[in-house]
Amino acid sequence: MSARRGVAVLVAVTIVLGVLGRASNAIGLPAYDVLLAGTILFWMTQATSWNLLSGFAGYFSFGQGAYIAVGAYTTAVYFGRHGGNVFLAIPIGGLLGGILAAAVGALAFRLRSLRGEIFALLTLAVPFILAAYARITNWVDGGQGTTIRLPRVPAWMGNFQQMLFLLNLLLAALAVGVALVIYHSRLGHGLAAIHDAEGPAEVLGVPTFRYKMVAIVLSGVLGGLSGAVFALQIGFVAVDSVFTLTLPLTAIVISVLGGRRHWLGPVIGALLIVTLQDRLSAGGLENWSAIILGGLLAVLVVIAPDGLFGRLRARWWLALAVLVVVTAGMTASGYYDQLDALLYGMLAAVVVATIVDRLRPRRSVPAAAPPAAAAPVEAPAVVPGPRSGGTLVACADVTRYFGGVKALEDVSFTVGDGEIVGLVGPNGSGKTTMVNLLSGAMQPTRGRIEIGGRPIAGLPAHRVAHAGVARTYQIPKPFASMTVRDNVAMAVMFGRDSAPLRPAREAAERHLATVRLGHLADALPDALNLHQRQLLEMARAIAADPTVLLLDEALAGLNPAEIDDAVAVIRRIHSTGISIIIVEHLLRVLNQLATRIVVLDRGTLIADGDPAAALADPAVVRAYLGRQRA
Amino acid sequence: MITLQAALTGALIGGLYALMAAGMSVTWGVLRVINLAHFGLILLGAYLTYQLATSWGLDPILTLVVTVPALFVLGGALQWAYDRLRIVEFNSLLVSFGLLIITIQLASDVWSADFRRIAPADNPYATGSLDLGRIAVPTATLVAFVAAVLLVGGGHLLLHRTFTGRGMRAFAQDRTVAAAFGIDHRRLGVLLGGAAGASAAVAGMIFALGNSITPSTPYDWFGTVFAVVILGGIGNLLGTLVAGIGIGVLSGLVSVIWSPSTEPFVLFLAIILALLLRPRGLFARAGVA
Repeated sequence: MSARRGVAVLVAVTIVLGVLGRASNAIGLPAYDVLLAGTILFWMTQATSWNLLSGFAGYFSFGQGAYIAVGAYTTAVYFGRHGGNVFLAIPIGGLLGGILAAAVGALAFRLRSLRGEIFALLTLAVPFILAAYARITNWVDGGQGTTIRLPRVPAWMGNFQQMLFLLNLLLAALAVGVALVIYHSRLGHGLAAIHDAEGPAEVLGVPTFRYKMVAIVLSGVLGGLSGAVFALQIGFVAVDSVFTLTLPLTAIVISVLGGRRHWLGPVIGALLIVTLQDRLSAGGLENWSAIILGGLLAVLVVIAPDGLFGRLRARWWLALAVLVVVTAGMTASGYYDQLDALLYGMLAAVVVATIVDRLRPRRSVPAAAPPAAAAPVEAPAVVPGPRSGGTLVACADVTRYFGGVKALEDVSFTVGDGEIVGLVGPNGSGKTTMVNLLSGAMQPTRGRIEIGGRPIAGLPAHRVAHAGVARTYQIPKPFASMTVRDNVAMAVMFGRDSAPLRPAREAAERHLATVRLGHLADALPDALNLHQRQLLEMARAIAADPTVLLLDEALAGLNPAEIDDAVAVIRRIHSTGISIIIVEHLLRVLNQLATRIVVLDRGTLIADGDPAAALADPAVVRAYLGRQRA
Repeated sequence: MITLQAALTGALIGGLYALMAAGMSVTWGVLRVINLAHFGLILLGAYLTYQLATSWGLDPILTLVVTVPALFVLGGALQWAYDRLRIVEFNSLLVSFGLLIITIQLASDVWSADFRRIAPADNPYATGSLDLGRIAVPTATLVAFVAAVLLVGGGHLLLHRTFTGRGMRAFAQDRTVAAAFGIDHRRLGVLLGGAAGASAAVAGMIFALGNSITPSTPYDWFGTVFAVVILGGIGNLLGTLVAGIGIGVLSGLVSVIWSPSTEPFVLFLAIILALLLRPRGLFARAGVA
């Protein structure tokens, strides 16, 4: 479904539901059903809000309750205590939620070494701080709580219950619409890349910090808006009722159950979970509700970590048929309440879809063809790119310390247009540090690096990428959830000439052909062997349209035939006009491939020149083989 | 003098935080399992102590004879299940969050949501105190501190001085290589999970000695215990002990200098700052990432 069609369907559904809700008395819908629908919509909003950052970008948050609480307290203080306009309290709640989210994001995402678990724990602490603050601050709460009286309902909104329903509907439509648009946008693809492999995403040109900030702020705004309505719904705002862990738990369970990588996941999850909870409490089993939610979370993570959405979509007709048949059948039998019938219908659909999926797995992605059968097609003749002949990379006195360890000390060298420079040295000589500095992943302690005449000091890695530097990783880090083609397309999308997805995919085919990986375009990276993954790394790097390509041990672990193949690919890349810096241990290969060799030893540059001459240099021989042989 | 008293009491209570954090820190560091259900085990330990002391009239410390083996088995079984289902890292955080919720709900079904406290008649440690000049140290707190230092310190020695401990640390650093040298990760994992469970039993007993228990008590531990785990350095028991005592002193001082109600607020702010400034723990060696 394209974004435009999705939005159109969403608007249509919202209007139909809105009319139904407003006219519920006239057409005889039970008030209870309207209330339940409002609750479902509330959770749809909250789970979608959570999903924008935690699902799309993979930064798991336990802090959803903080946004709900900020919104709820806005209503409590502004409307409940000071008699302000309730319809103004809602946008203020959204604003404050956004500000809180921006503060959390600005603090957390600045950390270079932030790990997912640490982020999760940070977000776990935020609601505790707010709760402690609310408890000791009299103008917010002071430990007494605030009763929210019934607001005056505008005539066109009907009664209070209908107003709540309409507000929740509006916010749910807004949240799902935002998620839908993001899912199909550049931002959505960037977030998915961050989810799979954040380091490579940044190096390929994805502005990771900005994207994460946008996601967390949108999440906070939506959470705050809907939290402000939540206060009207519960009628009494107190620390213990809005800071419970059940709120974030429910949002998490809904998204995990529904599916975290797609905008529809939380929608499906909310329908199922909220109906289930409602039926449990209607049956007098409230105590079981927490147990079942907790159990669902534990079981789902094990058996279906990717959620129900994918399973339902693969055979949506089957799921829909089961849902309709079971619900209609049970309702018609007359023994069951309509809502019970609906719940059993949904459960039956889920069970059938899951079982069928187990028995006959989806053919979503063709398995990688066996290499022998699908001989790679010959690469197209390459068009030699233009050569300016100038200096592309200039390092002057580059120094990098890690604490007391001097990884690089006063290293200076240049790389001219059209060169293939071999960067060699024994283990620990600072080669990979050099690659990290050149690609902007680290900053030098001292010294100056220029790319194409522009200093890159202080630039984030994605800006360095846009300046024309691309790199591969010694251990390939593909985007695991995307096909080989989309892995490369990401680099085109976020490269120097940013492109929309469709042309990016076409360009990706071309780059895959250059590295002779075209026959595996539809495979997932998991299905590739090491050699193929390293070729994928190269395809992704050249797709960013660099002037300089950094190859970090791209030949490590390959057998002789694969090495010959990789060398041919590197030559072909070079002939398209890209200059190359290659880190490698195989001096035999470099001897043929490189136009120049730079030798590092214990952080200092000990030789720079013609391959044969550099490798014969006594200092180099000593560094590699020890003093006696020199 | 009041300040000194507060700092000392805080330090002693910090021992309990360290003990709670130790089990979590070790399974996280060595087995890569972030086990939120550990809080559930501590809660169970506390309730079992209460129940045994109340209905059988056992000395609370003697209840360890029952609770330690019981929670050792439970902790070991839990770890066995995590291992069989290959639940580590992020997934373990989610799964164990689910398990914790279940435990809390079950506890409230069994013991109700009311506050439970061992009656003074059954609890010889409730009222006594040790007088050091003008400073008084409640017996319960002293017991807590001594037990914490013995256990956490002993755990540290075990990890660093014994063959099994070295195996565990080798396993934490590189599982594949450790496995190639004949380290059976299943057995080690179950043993370690069991040890964490046993430490939870002791922590629960100590908590029950001086405090009232309700099913939602674990939520109060969350922030502090995680802060201790992370500040101490994940998997570093000695660091955990120091961090626990440090945080205890801080919260003791804050509640005297400002007011007890500001304590959680200041404490959590300090924790967040520490997390942001030293995400690898206060005692991590500076150096190559």
